[in-house]
Amino acid sequence: MLARPLKYARPASVAEATALLRSHPGARPLAGGQSIVNVLKLRAAEVDALIDISRLEELRTIAATPDGGLELGAGVRYVELASAPLVRERLPIVADVADGLVDVQVRNRGTLGGNICLNDPTSNFPPLLVALGATIRIAGAGAERRSVPAGDFFVGPYRCALEPGELVHSVVLAPLGGDEGVGYQTLQLARDSWALARAAVWLRRDGDAIADARVVLGCLGPRPARQGAIEAALLGGGGGEASVSAAVAAPLEGIDAVGDSHASPEYRVEMARVYAKRAIHQALAQTEAPA
Amino acid sequence: MNDPETTHLVEVQINGERYERAVQARELLVHFIRDTLALKGTHIGCDTGNCGACTVLVDGQPMKSCMMLAVQADGLSLETVESLSPAGEELSDLQKAFNDQHAVQCGWCTPGMLMQAKALLERDPDPDVETIRRTLKGNICRCTGYVNIVRAVQQAAGQDVSAGIQQEARA
Amino acid sequence: MSVQDAAAPTKAASTIGTPVRRVEDKRLLQGQGTFSDDVWMKRMGYVHFVRSPHAHARIGDIDVARAEAMEGVYATLTGAEVEAMTEPFMQIAPEPGSRMEDYALAVGKVRFVGEPVVAVLAETRALARDAAEAVEVEYELLEAVVDSLATLSPTAPVLHETIGKNIGYQDTYAWGDIDWALEHADHVVSIDKLHFHRFSSTPLECNAAVVNWDRGTDVIEVRSNNQMPQFAAMFISPAIGMPTSKLHFVSQDIGGAFGLKITSYPTIAACMLLSRKAGRPVKWTEYRSEAVTASAHGNERTFTDIKVPVMADGTILGFDVKAYDDAGAFMRYEPLGGVIWSQVAPGCYRLKHLRVEYTQVLTNKCPCGPNRGYSRLQHLWMIERIVDIVAHELGFDPVELRKKNYPQADEYPYETPNGCFYDSGDLPRMLDLGLELADYDGWRTRQAELKESGGGKRIGIGIGSTLDSGTNNFGQARLVNEHLPFSGNGEAAHVKLDLYGEIAVNLGSSPQGQGHETTAAQTVGEILGVAPTDIHVKAGYDTASHAYVGFSGTYASQFAVTGLGAAIGAAEKLRDEIRLVAATALGATPDEIELADGVAGVRGDEERAIPFIGIANLVYTNVAALPPEVADAVSLNCRYVYRPPFEIPDIETKTGELTLTYAAQIHVAVVEIDEETGHTEILKYVAIDECGRRINPQIVEGQVHGAAAHGIGAALHESFVYDEESGQLLSGNFYDYHAATAVDVPLLLTGEIECPSPRSPNGAKGMGEGGGAPLSTLCAAFQDALGAGGAVVTDTHNPSERVWRLLRERSDAPRPVEVVSR
Repeated sequence: MLARPLKYARPASVAEATALLRSHPGARPLAGGQSIVNVLKLRAAEVDALIDISRLEELRTIAATPDGGLELGAGVRYVELASAPLVRERLPIVADVADGLVDVQVRNRGTLGGNICLNDPTSNFPPLLVALGATIRIAGAGAERRSVPAGDFFVGPYRCALEPGELVHSVVLAPLGGDEGVGYQTLQLARDSWALARAAVWLRRDGDAIADARVVLGCLGPRPARQGAIEAALLGGGGGEASVSAAVAAPLEGIDAVGDSHASPEYRVEMARVYAKRAIHQALAQTEAPA
Repeated sequence: MNDPETTHLVEVQINGERYERAVQARELLVHFIRDTLALKGTHIGCDTGNCGACTVLVDGQPMKSCMMLAVQADGLSLETVESLSPAGEELSDLQKAFNDQHAVQCGWCTPGMLMQAKALLERDPDPDVETIRRTLKGNICRCTGYVNIVRAVQQAAGQDVSAGIQQEARA
Repeated sequence: MSVQDAAAPTKAASTIGTPVRRVEDKRLLQGQGTFSDDVWMKRMGYVHFVRSPHAHARIGDIDVARAEAMEGVYATLTGAEVEAMTEPFMQIAPEPGSRMEDYALAVGKVRFVGEPVVAVLAETRALARDAAEAVEVEYELLEAVVDSLATLSPTAPVLHETIGKNIGYQDTYAWGDIDWALEHADHVVSIDKLHFHRFSSTPLECNAAVVNWDRGTDVIEVRSNNQMPQFAAMFISPAIGMPTSKLHFVSQDIGGAFGLKITSYPTIAACMLLSRKAGRPVKWTEYRSEAVTASAHGNERTFTDIKVPVMADGTILGFDVKAYDDAGAFMRYEPLGGVIWSQVAPGCYRLKHLRVEYTQVLTNKCPCGPNRGYSRLQHLWMIERIVDIVAHELGFDPVELRKKNYPQADEYPYETPNGCFYDSGDLPRMLDLGLELADYDGWRTRQAELKESGGGKRIGIGIGSTLDSGTNNFGQARLVNEHLPFSGNGEAAHVKLDLYGEIAVNLGSSPQGQGHETTAAQTVGEILGVAPTDIHVKAGYDTASHAYVGFSGTYASQFAVTGLGAAIGAAEKLRDEIRLVAATALGATPDEIELADGVAGVRGDEERAIPFIGIANLVYTNVAALPPEVADAVSLNCRYVYRPPFEIPDIETKTGELTLTYAAQIHVAVVEIDEETGHTEILKYVAIDECGRRINPQIVEGQVHGAAAHGIGAALHESFVYDEESGQLLSGNFYDYHAATAVDVPLLLTGEIECPSPRSPNGAKGMGEGGGAPLSTLCAAFQDALGAGGAVVTDTHNPSERVWRLLRERSDAPRPVEVVSR
């Protein structure tokens, strides 16, 4: 299919890009284009102009933060996340998730910023970033920057906390302590394919007990959904088989599952619990002290 | 700073040849390659970026030319299936492997498959079967069931084809 | 005369049965194939179709003014114009289905989402689409029906007022005495309902055509990927009032078809009308979402009220069933499927008493096309489910029950109750080979261990046995409509010696990846004594230069028999002419002449020989040197039509030889199911194939792989799902219609046995469709995992959720199966 007539510009800096976005209200940023080009082809949205930010080097950095965490530029491609030694070393889960995304071609072009700004309910990174407690750095006019916690960034399906004229600059991730673990589990239609249910979990253990946890479900509603009741049920527990199973049976929050040709809402919800359980166990396994 | 425009002059290297053309901003790279340059080897199999028939190498990396605008290729270097061996002349080792292993039936996915396989072997000269399958995941073939394509990539990598697949399949 | 006993006056080593590398590959690997979209013509316009967003609606005013006023727009075409310019396409169905009115564009009503309503021709693809957006169509919404059974309700909306009900064809097929069998059997197993879902093999190249109406000659050239151009010509000619001689169809490379590119004729006709109206060549390149939504789907079929008489020793006597085949909104190739299933009426088994009450229903869904395995795979799946369910319900071993009911090797040719002859085969041996390759016993042990240890995983092992009937007797069309003047079958080929003695072949087929250039070269080379590489088989198909008959084309598993049969006949004619000319030139008798390496020589006398170039010279350019009686007898341009030895089937009893050959496939699969989620992994997949003499075993294996992949994809992932309310297709592009990828299709293991056909000219059997074996095999594997007394697998499509539900079915839930024992 083919797009409607549109305009295109390739600014030389983030400041130029945000200026263009401000002066052209119908413009949208173009990063890897692995979603928006489809949207244009389907004529599913009105876009007057594309502001190509895919070559802005300042968005393409993978940097170590002084606290041992990472700052990942919005324009970093999945293939770079999957292969960067620094990401592998500090937050291997980010590399793994990037490596399982769709296919080689999409990984070669698609970007972290594009993924989170699209915020499709099935997008891979939003639940993970919420679970990791990431911070989204946003570029505004000129050198202006503001930060939004990932938990507040994802507003609704295909909507995020960007104001007109803003761009995601980077994603800042805290380091993982030895007593922390991350789990990420997905039920897919087929391998490396569309997600039917997804759970991302971060937790911290204090001795034998789970001291803190973020349990986030994807695919089931307008935005990645923190599961307060499950988290509460986990806290203080030892993470044993029975207690985790009991915890994931808690009432789900922020869920509005819809059915489609692949799965019913009922099945998606049940699977969300199963995958939450598996992600919790995956996270717990990382917190166990080496023998 | 340039304002957004509808028409752009792009300069792109394709298979070592330099092309300079005016393109509409909305024009897909694949249509530029096929309709404007008449490089017919690159195919279109879907309109949602799922099938990979339009895969070309952009600065050496496989990308779907239906998921890029032509204007985005400005200043970049592309390789299409036509670059693998001149028309009518001897096949490259990779192409010959596809012929030997009967990895071609209708030929529609073939150009994209070849470009994907070429990039894989440059990245990883001795990929295992699992890596080959995961790499080909972005290229849909409706004729072969993929088995012979995996075999062809194995042959091109200098691996023992029959042993590899049979062992994997039997294990 | 067959190849084997053709007096074999050739020296070149035979390549039959060897994996000769495909000659068509080189151009395809170098990006030099020519597909329909690779054709560009001067002044050509691009067509874009305005399509119905509704499943069922009356068309009101259509306003094309805004579109036509746009710069670069050449013409538009509406249904009203089509109605004025053309007759409805002819229908295969008898009354009342024959009253269906099917046009190149929707006339009066739309009946499925995506139906073409207006065609717009413009300077570029993009402009055509822009202009299509500017066309305004008013619709008055009507209630839609998409369910195959609900459409039969008296309150259901009627799709075609001229028919008056949503039935396109209905008849009962009965052989033997099923009532007697049900009365006398030791057990009667009843199954409420089995459902074969809607999917399609979705060839990766969508439909396409470049159509040019030449004003000077009034000839329409169609450079399309239609896979059965004669069929298209026969439908289009009376509709648009053009003689078939002026419909010039050409194709070179076709990017897969699988039967689904047979029914592109309405859209091609629309392009013809548009080309005439605009006075320009028209390029039509279908988009994927259009192809998925509105080109052709495989048939959905629902079986109800199944009753199966079984004897205590496991002998299955037959079945009684009602079959509701859902054609969608138009019939097109239907209701041929209403009889084609009966080519394999008893499946792979010695069933004697059969009754099928067959109804072709119409719904507000995409029309169907004869998708790979057409009409037989639904029926074969139903029989495999029957056999598998009987085994589980009555406690028979699924392997032993199958073996007991298969025809045994010494029973071939095996006559079915409806007069078909299974020409050759050995199903028990195939099954044994499959079990061995799959390590069946090992997996049974593993399955038991896993059951013991728990762990949330379970294993299922399934078997599927199917037939691939090939080379139709078109006389079977008379069984659905006695007025159809069709019978037999045929295919044509030309083999000629060209001016300098080169061998050129053209075929009546229109291949889409099956390697016809290669196997034809092998076959002709064998007869003329030259290597396949020295034979030029013309790529593709062209009505202006290729030989053809009415049934020409590439469909229905037949090329190895009909196509190569024609090539054999034509090559033998040419061989005999060469021998006559050589004998004349060399002073010998024709039977003293042998052909080898491009030379015709007197056997045993190396001095007396003439190369093919000399033969060509004598006939084409030095003709006075030949005695007139020889010159008159040869042309070196030999056409042959192969005709299988068919008779017209008996309409009253619905019996007769409906197909010539029966290839078979037996598959064995091992699946591992995650009990918590229903997610399935295929751990092992084996396909055993028997297709008579294998002309090129590598090509055969490729077809086995491809057919298996289609079935596996359909069984687990691929499904066309419609919203019951709106009639919208929920899987209308490649996002939602998940075509199997390289990680979805397991590493297939193949094995084969060879039982040459006594019926075909070369011992080969048509093959390639594969009978949908994976659908049967994976259902059987799921059933095996569920165990006896558990839930019953009743659907072809078993994605994770359905498996999860089957695993959770309560033991007190009503079962869809009942056993009554005497």
